[in-house]
Amino acid sequence: MPDGVALTLSVLLPIGIVLGVFLTIFALLTWAERKALGRIQNRLGPNRVGPFGLFQPIADALKLLTKEDIVPQAADKVVHFLAPVVTVAPAFLILAVVPVAKGFVPVDLNIGVLFALAVSTASVLALFMAGWASHNKFSLLGAMRAVAQVVSYEVPMVLAAVVVLMAAGTLSSVGIVEAQRGFGGWFICKPWGLVGFVIFQLCAMAEVARTPFDLPEAESEIVAGYHTEYSGFKFALFQMGEYVAALTMGGITVTMFLGGYLGPGSDLPKIGWLVSACWFFAKLGIIIIINIWARGTWPRVRVDQLLGFAWKMLLPLSLVNIVAMALWHFAPNKIAGWLVSAALLVAAIFGLVKINAGKAFEKRSYRFIS
Amino acid sequence: MNAIFLTLSAVTVLGAVLAVSLRNLVHCLLALVLFFLGIAGHFFLMRADFLGAVQILIYIGAVAVLILFAIMLTRNIAGTEGARRALGGAWWLGVGVSAALAGLMIAMTRRSELASKMPYGATEEGVVKDIGKLLVTDWVVPLEIMAVLLTAALIGAVVVALEETKKR
Amino acid sequence: MNGFPGKGLLDGLLVTAKNFVGSYFDGHRKERLFTWQYPEERMKLPERSRTFPFLVYDGSPENLRCTACKICEAECPPQCIYIVMDRDAHGKPLHRPKVFTIDTSVCMQCGICAEVCPFDSIKMDCDFERSRPGRFGELLAHLSDLLKSNEYYHQIKPAEAARVDATRRPIKRPPAAAAPPGKK
Repeated sequence: MPDGVALTLSVLLPIGIVLGVFLTIFALLTWAERKALGRIQNRLGPNRVGPFGLFQPIADALKLLTKEDIVPQAADKVVHFLAPVVTVAPAFLILAVVPVAKGFVPVDLNIGVLFALAVSTASVLALFMAGWASHNKFSLLGAMRAVAQVVSYEVPMVLAAVVVLMAAGTLSSVGIVEAQRGFGGWFICKPWGLVGFVIFQLCAMAEVARTPFDLPEAESEIVAGYHTEYSGFKFALFQMGEYVAALTMGGITVTMFLGGYLGPGSDLPKIGWLVSACWFFAKLGIIIIINIWARGTWPRVRVDQLLGFAWKMLLPLSLVNIVAMALWHFAPNKIAGWLVSAALLVAAIFGLVKINAGKAFEKRSYRFIS
Repeated sequence: MNAIFLTLSAVTVLGAVLAVSLRNLVHCLLALVLFFLGIAGHFFLMRADFLGAVQILIYIGAVAVLILFAIMLTRNIAGTEGARRALGGAWWLGVGVSAALAGLMIAMTRRSELASKMPYGATEEGVVKDIGKLLVTDWVVPLEIMAVLLTAALIGAVVVALEETKKR
Repeated sequence: MNGFPGKGLLDGLLVTAKNFVGSYFDGHRKERLFTWQYPEERMKLPERSRTFPFLVYDGSPENLRCTACKICEAECPPQCIYIVMDRDAHGKPLHRPKVFTIDTSVCMQCGICAEVCPFDSIKMDCDFERSRPGRFGELLAHLSDLLKSNEYYHQIKPAEAARVDATRRPIKRPPAAAAPPGKK
């Protein structure tokens, strides 16, 4: 086929496949989340629309599409219109560097992970745009809090990613996956990798404002939030941005800590790509399960607890993690390396919790109660 | 001078012009973000991937947010205070100074041998590695000084915030 | 500090995991998964729940207890009851309502009409499935819609109906034409 057509197809086809696959997963994720949360909360999830409620996402999409699109009169029309777009765009952009199967990354950038982290920080602006353009004091407050949350959790996230980069020696996402070959080669199996995984996953949950860090969303339930003045499909785009961003950051976590598409059988000659894709989506499923499980279990944190956790706990811990990784890497033999780094991390965790503990309440005594 | 470069330059210049001429201050900020994106695109075009990604990370992720907070905390919520005249009084002075500066920079860049000294960015891999190696061998002193400077700024910010709460 | 850092979080995760897995093996007992699959199942409402009023008759709809005294119309706070007394050919009151309409879009279900009725004829129903497609006229409940038997009253509110039956006195309408005595 002619060169230009081949070039266009080679660009459009991966985009189409990635968009299609991940949008389907997003729809299924909304359904699975509602069913799982329902079961955790002693109730059934949606079970009316289609078998087991599987068509519920379609019903939701149709409902939101046919709703009236209300824009406040005093709102900034251009910014109000652009905010959902700027929310959704980074979530999908990062998918370009996530290796879904062996040989199946849409763009194999040299700086894959750095690109992903950079684009994820660009989603901060969308929160502010949404809150500002609504011309609503509560929206603005919610947006400011959301911006503070996202910006605070970016720092430990990047530092937790640095540990992986040190181990892999490359910024390319495919290179990072390939550096985790071998039995026990996944970075989560190492002490610094485990701590890094926990830090990165917590920061990823905070970046996309999922429970227990869903203060931006909670404000909209309780008082108001940055997407109060949005109705209809713009609201749907905000939800889509949040869920797809959660999926995308899950994909980055799988790539960096869980070995990407690696697993037994992912190197087979003919069907290796299929097996590796199954491995990737199984690991992504584990991350999604952890996300939904956390959402159903942990209560929402207050805003000062939120920021304190990021700056006083996660940031020093991620710095100590880097030191521990360096010690592990340059240790004379493996056992010494493991012991020293594990001991350092455990000491750091206990020490930080002790430092941040705050005063314990003294035991009260009442006059008439013995 | 191919089509991509021209389009990117047009978007960048448009962002810059809008950033200084729009009435609403928040719109100016968003135009500035567009400008930063254009610059990042130029970096990517010149095969300086690391710089392009860091441009997005730092300028859009941090500097724009900083300007945003500055606008938020110093203007009234309605934002009508940000309206101002599109062109100032002595606009010809601004144009003249900009043209002189641009001409000076072009002349000096052409005359220097900067273009011949740039092997970086031409290779497919190793840009980040080369930058990293240089940072810790040839340029380690500026790196350490920058680290100290940033730490001092961080501590200073905490001290300023702490003093305010203590005063209350 | 109780246990290692994060122990509380992990304990919470274990509890919800147990809940999630247990919900599949416990069957659909209502104590476990308390979703009522409406409209196939309906929750049993407590006896004191109330929605809109209805008129009680004993035996047959001609034997209704209401004498069109208009006390409920006067006492209704949003004034949603409209009563017209039935009169015979000479204009003498028959002590039965010809028109008894309640505007259910106005009725606030306070139950004052049931409290003040001296003949125990208007009582509060607990039927909540009253949505109608239209807004004007379809939410008006006329006399034929409101008449329900004493057996129905016993069915929805047995204790209250038994109490009413034990303490009420029979309604004596003056012997006018075509008005059967309101005996129980």
